[in-house]
Amino acid sequence: MTETTADITIRIAEIMINELKLEDVTPENFDPDMDLVDEVGIDSMDLATVALVVQDEYGIRIDEDDYPKLTTIRLIAQYVQERM
Amino acid sequence: MKTVSSLLDKEWYKRYRAISRLNIRSSIYDVTNRCNLRCRGCFFFSSSEDRVAKEEMDLQKWEAFIDREKERGVNLAILIGGEPTLCLDRVEAFYRRLPTFCATNGLIRLPRDRFPDLMVGISLWGDEEDERLLRGRDTFSISSRNYEGDPHAYYLYTITPRQIGKTERIVRRIRDAGLKLHMQLLSNDEGVDQFFWTDEELVGIRAEMDHMLDSYPETVVSSRYYHQIITTGKMFGRRFGWDECPSVTEPLDRRDPRPRRLTGFIRWASDLRTMHRCCTSETRDCSTCKDGAAHMSWVMVNKRAHIRTEQDLKNWVEVYEMFAKLYRFIPW
Repeated sequence: MTETTADITIRIAEIMINELKLEDVTPENFDPDMDLVDEVGIDSMDLATVALVVQDEYGIRIDEDDYPKLTTIRLIAQYVQERM
Repeated sequence: MKTVSSLLDKEWYKRYRAISRLNIRSSIYDVTNRCNLRCRGCFFFSSSEDRVAKEEMDLQKWEAFIDREKERGVNLAILIGGEPTLCLDRVEAFYRRLPTFCATNGLIRLPRDRFPDLMVGISLWGDEEDERLLRGRDTFSISSRNYEGDPHAYYLYTITPRQIGKTERIVRRIRDAGLKLHMQLLSNDEGVDQFFWTDEELVGIRAEMDHMLDSYPETVVSSRYYHQIITTGKMFGRRFGWDECPSVTEPLDRRDPRPRRLTGFIRWASDLRTMHRCCTSETRDCSTCKDGAAHMSWVMVNKRAHIRTEQDLKNWVEVYEMFAKLYRFIPW
C-alpha cells in the first residue's frame, strides 16, 4: 500500500520524538509546519540522527547538503515521498 | 513541548535566530611544529606533539589540503601551532579560502595589509611575573604594541591560580591598549608548582571573572554561565571529561555511547595526515581540562538540554554568541 504524505508526516514526527526524546508532544499533535530550528531547537547533529533512521526506514538517501532545506516535518515528509 | 519562542521574549528570540543557523563546523590545524617561545605548560610541546609528524613544507600541498577541508564542510579554520605567524604563507592559504582564526603569542605582528580582517587571538598567561616564570618573558609588552587598537584582535587571557585578586589590572591594561579579551583557565599540563587549581580557588576566580565582566563589558567578551561551566566543570549535574567532551577528533572517536559532539571536528598535525586525539593534548587529564573552547562547545552542542527554562536558554544563547563573536561569525 502506498503511504500518503500524511502517513509519512506522522511517522517522521514519531521518529523525531523518539530519537530526540522530545517531551510533551505526540506524533498527532506535533505541528508539521513548526520550524524545527527556530522553535524545536534542533541542530545539524539532531537532523543527522533523524536522517539516519529515516533513510533506513524508507530506503532513500538524504544528502547532507539538503539539511538546511528540511526545516519542518512536512518538508521532510515531502522530501521523502519524492524519493521513494 | 517547550519551544524556543515560548521561553524567550521578542528581543532574545531575535538574538537566538541570529545564531541558530550558523552551523559552525570548526577544525584545528597545527600550522607548524616550531615556536619562538617554549612555555612551561604548553600542551603542544609538553606532550611532544611537535614530534609526532613531519611538517609539510610544500605550500601547494597545504592549499590542496585546505580545499579538501572546505569540501568536507569545514567553515572555521582554527590555526594553532607552534606559532602560526612563523609561516605566513600557510596562514594566508587558509585565510584566502576559509573563515579563519589565528592563535598567536603576538611577538610577530601579522601584516594587516595582507590579512586585513583575520581574527587574531593573542595568548597571555597571567601577569608579567607569571609570564616570565612560565614563558620566559613578558610577552604583553611586545604583543600589546604589535596589536594596539586592532579591531580584529583580542587577548586570550589564561588565568592562573596565582592571578586571584590581580585580574583587574590586566583587564585594564588590555582595555587601555584598545583591545578586548576572553578569559580562560590554565590547565597546567606540565604540573608546575603553584599552578594547580584548588576547589576554593575555582570558586574565587569565578566570582572575579563575573566581576570583570560586569565592570568591563566593553572589554571582556564572556558570559557568567561560561564562568560557571569552566570553573565547576559541571552542566546539569553532568561532569566535563572524556565521556562528555565534544572536541574529540571524529574519525578517532570510539566512545560508546557517543556524546553530543562537534560534527566533523578534526585536529590535524602539520604533516596534513596525522590526526591528534582532541583539541588539546593526548596526555591531558580530561577530568581537569580547563580548555575554554571545549567547554564553550560543550554548552553549544547541548542546545536542546537548555530548552528547559527561560534562563537556561538565555545562558545557551549567550555562550553561543560569545563563541560566534570570538570567531568573527557575528560582530562584537
